[in-house]
Amino acid sequence: MRSVHQDPELAFLEERVLHHANTFRRTLPEMRFFVLDSTEFMSLLEKGVYPTSPVNIWEGKRMVGRKHRVEAGQESAIYYEVVQTGNPSYAYLNHTNSPMMQASVMAHVVGHCEFSELNVLRDSTRDRTEFIMHLVKKVELARQQMGEVYYSQYWNACESLLPLIAPHSQYNLARSVDTESPVLKQETDTYVSEERSSAALMPVSSTMDALLHQQDPDQAWQKEMQSKLRQETLSRKGYKLRAPCQDIFGFLRNHAPTSRSEKSMLDYLYTRHFTHDFILRTQVMNEGWAMYWEKKIMLELFKEKAVSGIIDYARVFSGVCYPRPYFARNPYHLGFNLWNHIEQLYSEGKISLEYFEETDQSAKDNWKRTPGKEPIHYMADLIRTVTDYEFLRRFLTPELIHEFHLNRFHRMEAQRLRLSPDSIVKEDRQYVWLDPEPVKEEMLNFFTHFHRPRVYIIDTDFQDGGLLLFHRDDGRRLRKDWIKPTLKNLNLLWKGPVYLVSRNWLYSFSANLFKETVVTELRFEKVLERMQRYEKPFKM
Amino acid sequence: MPLLDTDNISSNESEGAFNEFIEDQLENLVDSILTEGDLTSVGDRGSEVIVEIDDIVAPTFTYGDESEGGGAAGAGPGRDGGKIRFNVPFEFLMERIARSLRLPNLRKQGRGKIKEVTHEFKTFAPVGTVLDKKRTFKRALKTSIGMRVYRPEEGRHEVHIHRRDRRYKVPERVEKPKFKAVVFYMGDISFSTYGERLKLEKRLVGFIQHWIDFNYGAKNVEHRFFVHDADAHEVQEEDFYRVGNAGGTLAAPVYHLVQQVATNEYDPNTTNFYAFYFGDGELFDEDAKEIVELLEGQMRPIFNRIGIVEVQPGRLSLLNRQVATQFHRDSIIRLGELNDRLEAIEVIKTLFSER
Repeated sequence: MRSVHQDPELAFLEERVLHHANTFRRTLPEMRFFVLDSTEFMSLLEKGVYPTSPVNIWEGKRMVGRKHRVEAGQESAIYYEVVQTGNPSYAYLNHTNSPMMQASVMAHVVGHCEFSELNVLRDSTRDRTEFIMHLVKKVELARQQMGEVYYSQYWNACESLLPLIAPHSQYNLARSVDTESPVLKQETDTYVSEERSSAALMPVSSTMDALLHQQDPDQAWQKEMQSKLRQETLSRKGYKLRAPCQDIFGFLRNHAPTSRSEKSMLDYLYTRHFTHDFILRTQVMNEGWAMYWEKKIMLELFKEKAVSGIIDYARVFSGVCYPRPYFARNPYHLGFNLWNHIEQLYSEGKISLEYFEETDQSAKDNWKRTPGKEPIHYMADLIRTVTDYEFLRRFLTPELIHEFHLNRFHRMEAQRLRLSPDSIVKEDRQYVWLDPEPVKEEMLNFFTHFHRPRVYIIDTDFQDGGLLLFHRDDGRRLRKDWIKPTLKNLNLLWKGPVYLVSRNWLYSFSANLFKETVVTELRFEKVLERMQRYEKPFKM
Repeated sequence: MPLLDTDNISSNESEGAFNEFIEDQLENLVDSILTEGDLTSVGDRGSEVIVEIDDIVAPTFTYGDESEGGGAAGAGPGRDGGKIRFNVPFEFLMERIARSLRLPNLRKQGRGKIKEVTHEFKTFAPVGTVLDKKRTFKRALKTSIGMRVYRPEEGRHEVHIHRRDRRYKVPERVEKPKFKAVVFYMGDISFSTYGERLKLEKRLVGFIQHWIDFNYGAKNVEHRFFVHDADAHEVQEEDFYRVGNAGGTLAAPVYHLVQQVATNEYDPNTTNFYAFYFGDGELFDEDAKEIVELLEGQMRPIFNRIGIVEVQPGRLSLLNRQVATQFHRDSIIRLGELNDRLEAIEVIKTLFSER
């Protein structure tokens, strides 16, 4: 691993790329570029794009597997770039790339770093990589304190629960858990402050209030009791669940009984995997933004002859931006083309109330109004306000789906998938095109479940101190043979009984005993309703 | 720009931890092989053994059925229907088995009497037929530096190879003691050897074959199989388990036959003899006494080890009892009783441990 500053050519390219980024007035953190060889690159990827990690068999296994696949020719060892955003950002280049490719990677990284700075989910944090390295040292210390056997056992249990990290969920910690101490609010694109406006400034008369807003005494009593219960729970436990919590790992990190060593491990694993949720929710916008700026900066570099090989670059670029069907979406292609389309719309003033209210089609077709500010400012505003879901919902039309070939399948693939002939709207010798109308709906559905079961904590005091999880049924069953080991791992972290309700089954794991009980099926909406009323969400 | 406080990025420690984990798994595998007696299924003797262990996957809440899994098969670590496959050298596996059971290496006799002659290129000379290019180049480079032909600081990189710089590989005759072993397996076909009894016997014979091959090298061991009812015969290995007869039983003839084969066909001074008898032990009193005499007078002096294993013996079994009166805790003659597969490990220890 070496800094690009040790290579005069790369140092020059870095200087030129940053120069153009600044000329375009991009909002950038400090960026540090390093060059790695192939093995280091493989290792970096297995460490979650951080330079260090605590010893663990999972990384070892993945690394051994990856090396084997590379040796067997099943996987290419060529990785172009990876970047850990934040301030400073760390970007890693592959030593085998040509100078032109290194420049394009640097330009691409500019896009990612700016996106991380601007986005609505507030991805960029100070010293993220340094903080992880600090946590790694704490985990290494924890390893010595815990002993190898328990350390491995605890890590394995955590590994099992890593997919249950959801910091940007609608039901994240900030929205689900009341705590005594004020916690940092986790924001999401759908975040709406739940603080109610205070009426403290209004003239108050309790007599008039009682007359005008007559309240059922029972209700008032209930309300008082709920408030008291909440306060008592808060002072006893330090937290109170007020809504289902989907960020299960985050909850365990904050509220499971842990030793200092165990806490270090939970902190490390949560922080290391925390950004995955951000990537899932913003991949199209993020990669599109990076491609957009990569192209802009590269054209400048070609113009000033800082790099050569524009044909090679065009070949690589078109390969990266190759259209894929919607279910195997290529975020580079979709994001890049959508950003260009949006830029076009803004530059023609088509994203305005007047345009939408215009009823004359010919006027709409020939619409050209100068926007109030540069389109790029509007685009940056979009990054500050929405994630992929809203981005696609707002701008991806059936016409664009067709134009971007998101509904295009190879004939062979169409036969394999047994696509209905009725859904095919166009075909040629090689491809068929599906009706683009339902495609958008399918693409948006991805953001509700990310192809993963939705599991929530709904009670932290179920049957005397048990942790009760709820699987929100969406028509698919959970893999049954993994429920027991997963609950066992959860039990190790929670150090108390754990339960899972899935459809009409209650699974429990306590004192090394796994049990399955038939129960009445419960809907998620019912759970929500009961929790809002401060009732137990699920009773036996 | 400050560099990160790490010089290179590496997963070596985690890979090491994973390899240690796999070794632990292999230890467990050894235990299961010994308990289950599956040694015959793990591969050919002397070759690499492909072992499968359960893949490690962190379970989580996910969609799917229990039957899901699969993927491309292939040697080396990788997923194959929830398994990871490894190529393990046969010696590696046997060493672990020996360590697990605390078995000593077999004591070999005949040292110095038979020599295995090989030629190894250990020495080098200025004349010969096989040129050692590396040594020749080293000497030529030294000479060229001494003669100032090779002077990189002046841009001269010539290396002159003179006749006296040439070095040739010279074969040297190397004699190594060669150990030879013959193993005799004796089986009682008059008792009902089928079902569980046959499985138990087969597993034990399989292990003995692997163990002696491992100690002497598969090429240096001859395995010979003998069966008896009222009479004794030599058979092929595959017939050892197949033939059966419901007649009377006389075991002494098979001991006679083995003793005669050992002394007539091999040189007892240079050969390591092993004999293992398997039967229910239900013999006539006189028959058992004759066996004891044979063991004492003719077999014990020339055999390295003789094992008598009663497989699922009955109330009337007396062979081991009779032999034990004469050879209790003997260093050569070992007596075992095998009732179920869980006892296999104890029997193996009895047969091969040192006293």
